[in-house]
Amino acid sequence: MKKGMALIITLIMLTNFLTGCWSKRELNELAIASAIGIDKSGDGYQVTVEVINPSEISAEKGTGQRSPVVIFSATGKTVFEALRRITLESPRRVYLSHIRVVVLGEELARDGIAKIIDFLSRDSEFRIDFYILAAKNTKAESVLKVLTQLEKIPANKIAQGLEISEKSWSSTHAVKLDELTNDFTSDGKNPVLTGITLSGNADTGMTLENLKSSKLSSIQRIGNLAVFKKDRLVGWLSEEESLGYNYVMGNVKSTITTVECPGGGKLSVEVLRTKSNIKGKIENGKPKAKVELSMEGNIGESECDLDLTKPENIRQIEDALEEVVKEKKKLAIGKAQNLGSDIFGFGETIRRENPKAWKELKEKWNEEFERLSVDVSVDAKIRRTGTITNSPEQTKSKK
Amino acid sequence: MSYKKLSYKKKQPNSNQKNEVIKSSGNSLTQDLKENLERIQETLGNSSDIVVREFYAGKYGQMHIGIVYVDGLIDKNIVQRFILEALMLNLREAELDSTVFLQENELQVLKKAVLPAGEVKEIVDFNELFLHLLSGDTIVIINGVSRGMAIGTKGWTDRGIEEPGSESVVRGPRDGFTETLRTNTALLRRRIRDPNFWIETRRLGRRTKTDVSIAYIKGVASDRVVQEVHRRLDSIDIDAVLESGYIEEFVQDAPYSLFPTIYNTERPDKVVSAILEGRVAILVDGTPFVLLVPVVFIQFFQASEDYYHRFDISTLIRLLRFMCFFLALLVPSFYVAATTFHQEMIPTTLLVSIAAQREGVPFPAAVEALLMEISFEILREAGIRLPRAVGSAISIVGALVLGEAAVRAGIVSPAMVIVVSVTAISNFVSPAFNMAMSIRILRFLFLILASTFGLFGIVLGLIAMVLHLCGLSSFGVPYMSPMAPLIMQDQKDAMVRLPRFGVFKRPNFIRGNDAVRGRNPGNRK
Repeated sequence: MKKGMALIITLIMLTNFLTGCWSKRELNELAIASAIGIDKSGDGYQVTVEVINPSEISAEKGTGQRSPVVIFSATGKTVFEALRRITLESPRRVYLSHIRVVVLGEELARDGIAKIIDFLSRDSEFRIDFYILAAKNTKAESVLKVLTQLEKIPANKIAQGLEISEKSWSSTHAVKLDELTNDFTSDGKNPVLTGITLSGNADTGMTLENLKSSKLSSIQRIGNLAVFKKDRLVGWLSEEESLGYNYVMGNVKSTITTVECPGGGKLSVEVLRTKSNIKGKIENGKPKAKVELSMEGNIGESECDLDLTKPENIRQIEDALEEVVKEKKKLAIGKAQNLGSDIFGFGETIRRENPKAWKELKEKWNEEFERLSVDVSVDAKIRRTGTITNSPEQTKSKK
Repeated sequence: MSYKKLSYKKKQPNSNQKNEVIKSSGNSLTQDLKENLERIQETLGNSSDIVVREFYAGKYGQMHIGIVYVDGLIDKNIVQRFILEALMLNLREAELDSTVFLQENELQVLKKAVLPAGEVKEIVDFNELFLHLLSGDTIVIINGVSRGMAIGTKGWTDRGIEEPGSESVVRGPRDGFTETLRTNTALLRRRIRDPNFWIETRRLGRRTKTDVSIAYIKGVASDRVVQEVHRRLDSIDIDAVLESGYIEEFVQDAPYSLFPTIYNTERPDKVVSAILEGRVAILVDGTPFVLLVPVVFIQFFQASEDYYHRFDISTLIRLLRFMCFFLALLVPSFYVAATTFHQEMIPTTLLVSIAAQREGVPFPAAVEALLMEISFEILREAGIRLPRAVGSAISIVGALVLGEAAVRAGIVSPAMVIVVSVTAISNFVSPAFNMAMSIRILRFLFLILASTFGLFGIVLGLIAMVLHLCGLSSFGVPYMSPMAPLIMQDQKDAMVRLPRFGVFKRPNFIRGNDAVRGRNPGNRK
């Protein structure tokens, strides 16, 4: 019995060697991609892959003589085909699990991104934690090939920059694949993507020479939101409008909002917390939406003459703040209505509220949205005034 | 030095006692002293360490006495003072015509009135005689009496009680077992002053006739286990028992398993605490390593120190040991699996850093890992066998070969050096050497699994390992208890250790009838 078992176990162990390390990939046979850029090229696509050069990245071995990333690019009828064609240029197989960003060229975005979403969600190699951005006024390839400082890998610079600006400036919105897919498949909501532009020349930016100066001559700048209608890019929001969009969606984690003081002068409020509540309903057969926002903030900078020690003055600032934010939100909603794309998901809210009515509304929702009356209200609270109350200038003039 | 008589308890006739080495017609002693002495010398081949002394004793020298002993095994002091002096000087002054003398024969007189020795036994045949003689007793034979006396004079050069080399502690007793059985039993007796603490002794080994003792507390140890130990020891028939490992191999439950089903230790405190939990200790003469049965898996992760330190510290350290068990077992295989199959699992920055290190390394990660692991095993084995004088030289060379030089030469990546070092160090955390050995071997199996199937292989291996562990048992006790079968009450001292006032019962899965350890604050209502 025991001998039989031992024999069986030995045989099982021996079969291990027959597999020949099935689907094994040694690390130094992989080209670890950090970003993919997809552009339109004729009927098909041009796929640009930014591959990390590990020995340049590592602290110990890096010589600083070579570029930390290598750009490979190929065209094909489909994205997948183009990706595999890259092996004609690359010595190693492109490995996609570690990509941080996917950049879609503007031309492609205007043409429709549905087919890209299919590839990104179908391929098993992707982790779905990368950000998707739309290139504004430029090709995705140009964005990716510009080298960066501080973060050696451009894709990391873009991804981290996106995270930081989303957290502390809030005019951007980091979109991952699942959110994009959800918005795209929903009838009552259209997707947005954060845009990325290039300031300066891509061809000078891709050289190491560019990195030698303290002020980079070309640099990627994360920009404003791109509005999509279904899967097609239809327009761009301005910075104000992007902020307004995030206020409506309750995405604002922290930002700076400047208001005109009642007594003249400007004052900046650091927004600390926002909570947005979107409501939709059918009233007299007409859809209506309501956006309620409550926010808290501290005074971060003051140039005005108001005496900030007085609560009634603070209340005045709160009122001013409410007006400013309300204005931003209206701006964003107005722009979206102009573009005819419900990026806020008002339709989705109405569907949840009244599914029966939504069934009829669904077909003509885009037109309905353009005429939708949206009630915007803001409740702002100033909590603290920073480490001082009145500005030194003010204190001095009072004396 | 005086020794108590060993108490032989023969439940069944011992098989090797039947096959005595000395086979001659008429095994009993004769009345003729000369004949007896000649026979002894002849049988032992006139070995030079046998001392035979003949003399005449009594007031008128009427008693012809011979004594025989093995030089080196006896305490010369005892032989001189209590045998030679007693017989040659004291006997001369004794009034041998007293009533006692008339009633008894000479041998009885010597035994009862003359010899001031504590341990005296009458012997009738040569088998007995040789056994006593070769164990270090002194044989006294009188002309005209067909019997002899064995007088306990055992005393040989002994390694003193030292701190055990293989199991050192920060806190706790520092004495360790020695090579002498009697010293070892004394170390146990000194700790348990309980009449129910029994030490049963038998002889094993046709030629070595090694004393093997079974120590347990009657009532605390399960009778079933004690009987099983006797039964298994009875079935042993070999010519030599030089170390407890000889016995271990015969009595363990799963000799082909990589996991030890018998515990061995050099520490008396460990043995005593095990005996108090209801285990049975097997002590073998000639080795400081004592066997403990039955044993369960978690016991290999419990150090005696756990019970001397505070319970919270002990619990954390115990959990650390379990962690190290898995580290030592799986780190190289996990590294290989992650870097060759599951690169998506590694955080990007770490992956890039590992990839940078692996640039230019000519071997696949699996070969690299095997290379490093094997060279470490070589170094380790060499380290044990090395003469002390060259030890430091080898360790320098080893550190260079395994570390700096291998990395510089581009043969291995620095990450692999870290992996091997972590594994090696974690391996030494195990308080039991034999469990550490099983981990060493299993590590290579897992490495092969990982390099062929990746994480899938590791998980398969782990499942197989757990199944195997759950199937093992030691002297009737499931190896994985109290986890499988789950005994909630015994969890108090398994993975964790609760304070002693919370643990007032002996482990359920080992003990006999006597379960309660005492009334303590936690027990009092």
